[in-house]
This record gives sequence, C-alpha cells and structure tokens, in this order.
Amino acid sequence: MSEPTLAARQLEKTYGEDATLVHAVRHVDFEVEPGEVVLIMGPSGSGKTTLLSMLGAMLRPTSGEVLVNGVDIAAVPEARLPKLRATTFGFVFQDFNLLGALTALENVELALNLAGTSGRTARERAEELLARLGLAGRLTFRPDQLSGGEKQRVAIARALANQPPVILADEPTANLDSKIGHEIARLLRAIATEEQRAVVMVSHDSRLKEVADRVVWLEDGVFRDLDDMTTDPVCGMSVHSEGAPHLQAEEGILYFCSRACRDEYAAASVSGRPPTASDVNIPNEA
Amino acid sequence: MVPVARRMLFTDRRRAVLGVVGVAIALVMVLALDGIFAGTTRQVSRYIDTSPADVFVSQEGVRTIHMAISAIPARVVDRVSKVRGVAWAEPVLFASDALRAAAGRRASYVIGYQPGGRGGPQTLVEGRPPETGEMVIDDSVARALDINVGDEVEVLGRSWRVSGLTTGMTSIVNTSVYVTFDDLAQTLGSRDVASYILIGTGADPQSVADRVAVIPGVEAQTRPRFSAEERTVVKEMSTDLLSLMSLAALLVGLAVIGLVLYATIISRLRDIGVMKAIGLGRLGLTRFVLAQALWTIGTALPLAVAVTFGIGAVVAALAPDIDLVVESASLLRAGAGAVLVGAIGVISPLIKVWRVDPATVFRRAS
Repeated sequence: MSEPTLAARQLEKTYGEDATLVHAVRHVDFEVEPGEVVLIMGPSGSGKTTLLSMLGAMLRPTSGEVLVNGVDIAAVPEARLPKLRATTFGFVFQDFNLLGALTALENVELALNLAGTSGRTARERAEELLARLGLAGRLTFRPDQLSGGEKQRVAIARALANQPPVILADEPTANLDSKIGHEIARLLRAIATEEQRAVVMVSHDSRLKEVADRVVWLEDGVFRDLDDMTTDPVCGMSVHSEGAPHLQAEEGILYFCSRACRDEYAAASVSGRPPTASDVNIPNEA
Repeated sequence: MVPVARRMLFTDRRRAVLGVVGVAIALVMVLALDGIFAGTTRQVSRYIDTSPADVFVSQEGVRTIHMAISAIPARVVDRVSKVRGVAWAEPVLFASDALRAAAGRRASYVIGYQPGGRGGPQTLVEGRPPETGEMVIDDSVARALDINVGDEVEVLGRSWRVSGLTTGMTSIVNTSVYVTFDDLAQTLGSRDVASYILIGTGADPQSVADRVAVIPGVEAQTRPRFSAEERTVVKEMSTDLLSLMSLAALLVGLAVIGLVLYATIISRLRDIGVMKAIGLGRLGLTRFVLAQALWTIGTALPLAVAVTFGIGAVVAALAPDIDLVVESASLLRAGAGAVLVGAIGVISPLIKVWRVDPATVFRRAS
C-alpha cells in the first residue's frame, strides 16, 4: 500500500462553547491513496462541508491533523494557506463557481497566475487543458454562454491547472442532468486513475458510487460503517441503523430516517399497503 | 496576468459608468474651481501684463495694485526719467470704486493716465480715449450693464460720460476703467502725487529696476515680478476658500470611490471567495482592490479633464468675464488628490475582502 496522498488524523471541528457547543466533525480518521476516488455521503448537516473545508485548508480544525503527502497543512501559518491551496488542491463545486467576468480561458489562466505561472506559459497550459476537456471551441466564452456540463468541465480544467495532488469536489454533479453528470463523474474517475491524483467527492448523488473506489458515510460528524446502513422504506433515504427509529415488520427490522416515516409506514401497514416514496411526497435525497 | 480587477469592475457596465462618472464629476469640480481661480488671478493682473511698461515703480513697501495704496511725489517722475536705461516714465493714478449704471454696478479699478500716454487702454474697440469728464470702460461690462458709448455712469461719487470701449479688462472679480490723470487727481483731491510710475526701458529691465530702487521712498519691480506679486496677493486672499471648496469636491470623490468599490465588492463577494479559495492571498486581494480604484480614477481623470476643457469653452462663449484656465499644476493636484481619496476609499472595501471566508464557496449560490 502506498503512502496516502491525503490523510485526516483525529480531525475535529467544534463551534460555540458550553451550552452552545456543536460538534460538526468528531475525531475523523481518513485516508485517500494516489489515484483513489473516495465518495463521502451523508445527510444534510452531517458535517460533509465542514470536513471538506478542513481538508481543503479553508477552515482550521479544532484539533487533529490534515496531512497532504505527509505534511500537516492544519499547522501551516495563515499567510501561507492561499499559495498552498493554489498548488495542493483543485476544487470542483456544485455551482461551478467560475468567475462570470472572465472567459473560460481566463478562469483557468487565473488559477495558474495565482500559483505563480503567468504569461504565455499560463495561457498555453490553460488552452491545452481546456482542449483536452473538449472545450477548444469555447475558450473565449464567458460562463453565462456555456452549458452546465461545459461550465463544470471548465471548473475541472481550473482544478487541474496547477497539477494538484488532491481534487476536492463538492456535489460535482448536482446541477447537471443525469447524462452530463455521468460524464463528469467518469471524467473525475479518469483524472484520478490516469494522473494518480487523490479525488474526494462529497455528494448526495448515489450514482457517483459507480466511479468511487470507496464510499464513506458521514453522519453527525462521524464516519459510519456502511455495513450498518439501510434504506428508509418510506422516503428512500440511506439510514444508519444505530439509534434510528425502527419497527419489526414481517420481513424483519425496518429502519427509518425519522419517527414521521416510521409512523407513516405503521399507519399504512394497518390499512393494508405500506407507503413508498412515491406515495408520501418526500424527496429521495433530502 | 489575467486582468481580473478590471474585468470585474467593468463587467457591470452600468455600475462602472456610474462610478467613473461620479468620480469624474468630483474631479471636474476640483479642476473647474482651480481653473476659474487660475483664470481669475491671471485676469486680475491683466492691466500689468498688457502694459508696455517694463518696470513699475510704487511707494516703498508697496508691491501690488490690489489691496494697496501707493503714493509717490510727482517730482520723483522726473528723477526716475533721468535714471540710466529709462526710455520713458509716466505716472498713473489709481483708485478703486464701483462703476454704477442703471442696470447695476461692478467693482472697478479706476486708472488715471496721461492723455496719449502709455498707461491707458491698449486697445479701443469703439469710441475714443477719454477727455475731461469722460472714461473708457470694458466692452464686457458695457454689455453686462447695458452701457453704450455716450452714456453716463457714476464712479467715485461723480458722473462720467463713456467715451469709448476697451476689451479684455474685466474679470469675475472686477473691471478696469480709464480716465485722464488730471481728472482723477481732481476727483480724488490729490495734488502732485502719482500712484505708480510706468517705465519703458532700452536696457535690461531688472538692471533699470535696481537703479530706480536706489531712489529713496520707492519700490521698483519688473513687469513679470509686479504681475506675480499681484497674482500672489489675490491667491493668498482666496486660498482658504478655494481649499475648502476643493476639499469638499474631493470628499464627494472619496464618497463616490468608496461607494463604487464597496458596491462592486459586495456584488462580487462570492467571486472573491472563489479567488481566495483557489489561492488569492491578502497581498493579491489588496492589489485587486487598489487596481479597481486606480482603474476608476484613471478612467475618471481624463474624462474630468476633457469635461473641464469643454466647460471652459462653453464658459468662454457664454461668459467672457470668466476665464477658466486648466494648468498642469492643477491637473497634478487633482490627480494626486484623486489618488489620495482613492487610497482612503479602498480601506473599507479592503477590510471587507480580507474578511471574506473562502469556505463560502461551498455554500449554495442563492
């Protein structure tokens, strides 16, 4: 087993104190190998974004370490963090987060500028990256002239500009239709494999499981064992069995995301037909 | 390098135009005030500047016409005439009062000169030089107060008939009128006294002035020196007021620059968060905001200069008495003032961008 590109050791983040103390992330241990794609899933409010922010050197952990190629970035002085982010991480966002005032080419070129590459070198590298991602004909287009898939490919080109060892993707397929979302997922997979980059994706989109080497479930700031995961038969949400509302049915113990789903299921069972997600108007992925 | 500051500033064209125009208006106020002031001070010394005299002699200790009273014994004229290098010497009398006509009045320098001499109006656009009981006035005042040649006007408590019109001797502050030396002396009740002595030289004016200055009780200055002294006294009288008005204009500019940059920053907080997330540090952010300020000022300043020149042309056509002169020193002052207010104006936006949390990139756009 090779040395992990990215590792979190006993990573913890709390907000507030005393009565208002909130544990957003609790003692998380986590490793990503070069070329590995890890998908972090979990319900809203589970701490995914906080974890991603800490992994990406945008948020200081309360305690613990974030190691990139063995270097603890949580201990790096504040003034050095921007440059570290520019050279160490490539970010891909749900909302693409391209700068609307710049063209596709300039968006990528800017990332290179921020890492210290400028002039013709930066321009050629940006052109090469965009061409590689099939955007050679869109170099001078502004984000509002691009489709969702094109925007996300520009964002990926920007993320790859400085050849970072780690790509952090926050809901990379959420604003895309299924076909384009699938393409983006495969692209991230290919980048990990071909360029040996560590890719961490945070998403609700279970379709991303097919490109991930590993899926971890984050709930209440803690990684849960996926073997203990089950699906709420009412709303379809993934639920960790520990402490979840449940009831004994003919087919065994059923776990629910909430008491409301359990009660709904129980009431429907009495009437003869257990409800499903299509009956109760609860979104599959809250 | 990608010109991200300029792109972000000018992407929202309406906001950019409003900002640039706002700053330009503030700078136009500064430049126009400076220009009117420069034009006025230039006009104030017009009598001296257009005089054929090379040296002006005044009472010892008196170095100006404006805000001064000079009295030189008439006999000094003869003595001055005999100084080596003096080609001619002529006395003039000077008083100040309001010229009154049916349509209004105007502050005036009253200059008494010898008929046919060099101390009178240098050009006559209408009529003839004054004789006893007559005066020549400026055509601009004649138009403004609806005075024609042959009309009666009142100055120094008596009536004068307008014999002719000269031109270019009226400023926003006052005008010059010309009467005969003896007439003015009689009106003032002064005998054997001149206010100033005008000297034409056949040699170096400064050498002549130095030689004349040896005569007891007189001050002798070359025309450029006398003119500069005249402008200085006017400037000194007006500097505080002008400084206050310029400061007010610059404060308007400061508010505009600050608001424009702040509004731009506020509307681009997410973009700034993205830039911070992908590696823009505090120094880069500072450069980013300063570049936006410089672009705003750099675009507004030439616009302001062009508009000020345009205003100058319009003013010259509509109000010839007002001379608006844009001097290079004024441009430098306005530019420096704009950079200064720009530097102050960026403080608040700068603090705002420094505080932007890069992790905002993970929040959903609304």
